[in-house]
Amino acid sequence: MMSFIREKDGEMRDMRARRFFLFSVFFLGFCLLPSYDAPFLANHAWGAEEYAVEISASLPEDVLPSADLAPEAAAGEAADHDVADTAVAEAADEYEDDYFDEDEELYGVRSDIAPIADPIEPFNRAMHHFNDKMYFWVLKPVAIGYKTVVPELVRVGVKNFFTNLAFPLRFTSSLLQADFGGALRETGRFTINTVWGLAGFLDPASMSGDLFPKNDADLGETFGVWGIGPGIYIVWPVIGPSSLRDTFAFAGECFLYPPAYLQPWYTPAGVRSYQIINDTSLRIGDYEALIGAAIDPYLAARDAYNQYRAKKIENKRKKLTSPAEIPSE
Amino acid sequence: MKKTIIMAAMLMALVLSSAAYAAAPLETVKGNVNRVLDILRDPALQGKALLEKKKEKLRAVYYDMFDERELSRRCLSRNWAKLTADQQKEFIHLFRQILENTYSDRILAYKNERIVFDKESALSSTQAEVYTRIITASSEVPIFYRLILSDGSWKVYDVVIENISLVQNYRSQFDEILAKNPPEKMLEILRNKLK
Repeated sequence: MMSFIREKDGEMRDMRARRFFLFSVFFLGFCLLPSYDAPFLANHAWGAEEYAVEISASLPEDVLPSADLAPEAAAGEAADHDVADTAVAEAADEYEDDYFDEDEELYGVRSDIAPIADPIEPFNRAMHHFNDKMYFWVLKPVAIGYKTVVPELVRVGVKNFFTNLAFPLRFTSSLLQADFGGALRETGRFTINTVWGLAGFLDPASMSGDLFPKNDADLGETFGVWGIGPGIYIVWPVIGPSSLRDTFAFAGECFLYPPAYLQPWYTPAGVRSYQIINDTSLRIGDYEALIGAAIDPYLAARDAYNQYRAKKIENKRKKLTSPAEIPSE
Repeated sequence: MKKTIIMAAMLMALVLSSAAYAAAPLETVKGNVNRVLDILRDPALQGKALLEKKKEKLRAVYYDMFDERELSRRCLSRNWAKLTADQQKEFIHLFRQILENTYSDRILAYKNERIVFDKESALSSTQAEVYTRIITASSEVPIFYRLILSDGSWKVYDVVIENISLVQNYRSQFDEILAKNPPEKMLEILRNKLK
């Protein structure tokens, strides 16, 4: 009876996996239809101009660089405001423009990343607090204990192993981004590291120089490349900082994480915990530095998350449109 | 004929000037980072007793390498103008100590990680970005330095670690604090943090 249930369970999961795969293929096909104006396929679409406009659109008006506004529009708007208001706003703008316009001039686009919306800040702050305590009371002591027992070489190997194992995620994400070269390179890396790298513990593919550059990709990034914004900031207990977009992506990523298919049911959580402990043991001090240097640790973590994700997506977009200009990651 | 010579001369000047320009920011960063590494590796400065002396030397490099005022100004952006000259001075002073407290331990913990200086790119005639990577056994951390040309030398005004700009990170915090509080309150928060 038990085995029957388990089989049934396995079937269900297979079905779900198959459905997800079909969905992905369907979506990809949809994106490739010539009539569908997929933004990431049209090279011009991500030009600096449009990007700048898109960013401006998501910003409150008072921080907009005045250059973005057509002169008539600016004049018209100014007339709508009280004179005093305008004067104050202009004074502030002038000072801010001193910094932001400069950057805009420098990079062709505003280099400052738009802040992420945070309507559920009280909840997020509570979760941040919880995660912070989790880190210092549980994760860090365990990781330090683990670190003293296991030599670094092994821990790096374990990290490589899990990185190699996450190949389906990078492969699928690359395909969904229509980054066929990236998908191919990832396949090459996976094959080499699995066959000649002791199932991924070693990373011989990286030693081949520029032949197989790492091609990191995830689903949240993919959604970002498609033009979906982060939505709102969400801090999940244990998982940590995320956004609405990345939360949806995370759900999908669970299907692409091979250990998720292990039996019995609690094994994936165990494997994942071990992976987190191993990763943490290699980066002790990073989180402490971020929090220690912060005036308001919550805001620092939020901005770090936002900058990191936004930059990752921006770089990927640039890479997809002009592969030659961007140095390999 | 004359035209060709003038053209050639102009072209020559252009090429030469850009070449002369190109070497500067990367070389500056490289020189300063190597000075830091020399101090860290200096056998005469090992041991706990000499830690303060080591920090003293590192501080000297920091002053040469960074444009503190520019860094502080950019962290506060438009709020900078709300501070009086004295408050600005105090802010620079407190902010430096906060950075030092956090990052000196990180720098002193340096073992034998490899630092690669990849390239530089000019952001404008007075600003540049230098791309470096710290390669450890387990990972590769990209660190970009943003520099500004002030008084004839290149000084760092922002450090971007793993795509996270230090200045922007602080700006997001100070923006929020100063939206609700006067500058004096912010300085008090900084003072308390250093206690």
